[in-house]
Amino acid sequence: MESLINNFHIDAGLLMAQVINFVIIFVALYFFALKPLLRVMQNRTQTIEKSLEDAKRAEENLAKAEEDYNKKIQEAKQEANTILKKAEEQAEQNKQETTEKARQEIGEMISKEKERQRAEKQKTLKEIREEVADLVESSLEKVLKEKVDSEKDKELIKKSLKTNK
Amino acid sequence: MPKEQYQAQSSNTHSQVSHEHSLSAEPVVSIGGMEVTNSLLSSWIVVFLLIVFSLVIKLKLSRIPKGIQNVFEIIIEKSLEMFDSVTGSREKSLKFFPFIFAFFAYILLNNWLGMLPGVGSIGGVAQEGGEKVFVPLFRGGTADLNTTLSLAIIGVVASHIFGVLAVGAWRHLNKFINIQALLDIPKKIKKEPTIIIINPIQVFVGLIEIVSELSKVISLSFRLFGNIFAGEILLASMSAILAFGLPLPFLLLELFVGVIQALIFAILVLSYLAIHTSVEEC
Repeated sequence: MESLINNFHIDAGLLMAQVINFVIIFVALYFFALKPLLRVMQNRTQTIEKSLEDAKRAEENLAKAEEDYNKKIQEAKQEANTILKKAEEQAEQNKQETTEKARQEIGEMISKEKERQRAEKQKTLKEIREEVADLVESSLEKVLKEKVDSEKDKELIKKSLKTNK
Repeated sequence: MPKEQYQAQSSNTHSQVSHEHSLSAEPVVSIGGMEVTNSLLSSWIVVFLLIVFSLVIKLKLSRIPKGIQNVFEIIIEKSLEMFDSVTGSREKSLKFFPFIFAFFAYILLNNWLGMLPGVGSIGGVAQEGGEKVFVPLFRGGTADLNTTLSLAIIGVVASHIFGVLAVGAWRHLNKFINIQALLDIPKKIKKEPTIIIINPIQVFVGLIEIVSELSKVISLSFRLFGNIFAGEILLASMSAILAFGLPLPFLLLELFVGVIQALIFAILVLSYLAIHTSVEEC
């Protein structure tokens, strides 16, 4: 053992010096190089993993959204169709109702007018008749030139009226 | 290393200067009463380089990797994969990674620094016991047993600390001095009578484990030291035969050995950590 130490010049101070060297190297490498580098690498791995996952999720979302969109569009189309059909029916009904009403109104108006005309005609006729009677009376008076007594007069008028009728 | 040759030749002509690779690192300067060896000097260079390297990494760090950061991230990613095969879980790998990587970086740079021209060839002549000896100013940090031994001790001690933290002091102690197994004998003897044979064996195995912990330190330190020291001698010998061209393949070989030895050291320390932090199933 003694010769071993002497031959290889093993020295406690040198051993300690090398231990210190190693500790310095370990600390320097660990804190300056390896720790930050490993952290950066790990962060990068995580980031890439996350972005890949995000991309996948986004794609899924997109597909889902497209599906939803298509479904909604289909629904909307159907709804629009039903609304349109309903509206058409409504319009048709409205039209029919309106024409019916108009027809009725027109009919009523026509019959009212007819009634009115008839009434007017009768009124006119009555007036005419009275006028004619007056006329006849005055003309008869003129023709006869003389007034007959009222008895005769009345009789005469009656007679003439009867003949005129 | 042509310089070494010239210097050796030139000094040979003047006077006899012994020019051998000594097994131990030579003291070069003395700071505050402590003798600083040439190996320690080059280790300090490595420490400085690694601090600069770390600061560069920190300053250049960005969320979107560019240039050198990419290379570094690939290294981290691949070594974490390798660690997983040893530790069995990414969580553990991440926990041990900075520690093990510090070993790897320190050893690798020390190994490679020893091969640079000038290291082991620039130096002065010192008087030692009546004869003149060439003392290089720098020497590969891992070509000194002090370095490798301290690294091995750090590794093994750390494995025990992590072990205590992970499984608890009592269970960790029982891996070596198996009191639990002895206590179990009277409790379970009625259920399984074989326990009276098995548990004493386990106690004995635990004692052997203590020896194996010691041998871990020795094997780690001497493996690294031997390989790197032998590599330096090999390169020096090849340069002595022919300084031009001939050492090149051996330089490449040593470059490779430097990586391999650093890797082996790091992975072995990692496996010790993994073994001691896992619960023994028995």
